[in-house]
Amino acid sequence: MVFFRNPNVRSFIRTAAWSPVILFFVEHGFSIGSIQGRSMQPTFNPDSNKLRRDIVLLNRWIAVTHEYSRGDVVTLYAPDDPDRVITKRIIALEGDTVLPLPPYPDKFVKIPKGHCWVEGDEIFHSKDSNEYGPVPLALINAKVSYILWPFSRFSKVERFENSRVSVFKGDPLKDHD
Amino acid sequence: MPLHIPFRPLLKKIEIAIKLSCFIHFIGEHVMEVTMCIGPSMLPTFNTVGDLVVLEHFSPKLKRLEIGDVIVCISPTNPLRAVCKRIIGMPGDRICIDPTIINRKYITVPRGHVWLQGDNMSNSTDSRSYGPVPYALIRGRVFARIWPQSCWIKNGMTPLQEDD
Repeated sequence: MVFFRNPNVRSFIRTAAWSPVILFFVEHGFSIGSIQGRSMQPTFNPDSNKLRRDIVLLNRWIAVTHEYSRGDVVTLYAPDDPDRVITKRIIALEGDTVLPLPPYPDKFVKIPKGHCWVEGDEIFHSKDSNEYGPVPLALINAKVSYILWPFSRFSKVERFENSRVSVFKGDPLKDHD
Repeated sequence: MPLHIPFRPLLKKIEIAIKLSCFIHFIGEHVMEVTMCIGPSMLPTFNTVGDLVVLEHFSPKLKRLEIGDVIVCISPTNPLRAVCKRIIGMPGDRICIDPTIINRKYITVPRGHVWLQGDNMSNSTDSRSYGPVPYALIRGRVFARIWPQSCWIKNGMTPLQEDD
């Protein structure tokens, strides 16, 4: 096997052996993403220039532990399109009661088990839970933790609690109907 | 006498272990995976005590799933649990929620969702209780059972013959 004795080939194989480790880190650790569209204004993309996108740091470990709190900004697979990933803010978790906004038919929503209520910060230009109802927590694939670019707005993504939610104050592990 | 630890070979072994476990994890996440299917909901197809099944991750990614495929998806009510069900309806299909009651209710499966049911309809928590399931929750298609009685799991749906 002359091919494997070639030093270039050997060094290539040695580098390629690390690729599963890097992939693991990118898939379950931290990765970088860009945010498109105006549904999260003014948190992301405050000026509506479509060429300038915010680059953010995504914490993907949260999709392994599934420990979320109200007000976190997360990315999730769109419930109506498995190929699209959307960025929204968690408004309510399971057990909470939400007052939804107009497109939603009901007056109150009680969030079922294992679901959450997500909304964009720009409520007029956002397709969110007000349109398709509570979404399963398992659709969430990352939490947006830092804005990296533009550098002038480099900061941690703040948590905001919403006033249209009445928080469920019980044991979250206990079954509730 | 100081204890002599062969430090460099140990480091090399740890490095190989990390690489190997990440590689196995990658295969399990993107190619195929062996899991256990426990519970009574798929009873004629799988046993209650836990069957070892193999699932592949290509069909959901390539959108090759059809009505009748046995799939493993993440439970919409608990993100840490996976369930094994059969696809009964694809987006746009009109489904009767429960044919056994008199006042039958019909639902159209929305875009990007599927309707899942267990084979054991009388003892199964499925789309009849939690509604259509988003397509993104599907992890893989079950194509074989290893233990007991290893066999291929085929799409069990046959088209209904209409009488003239």
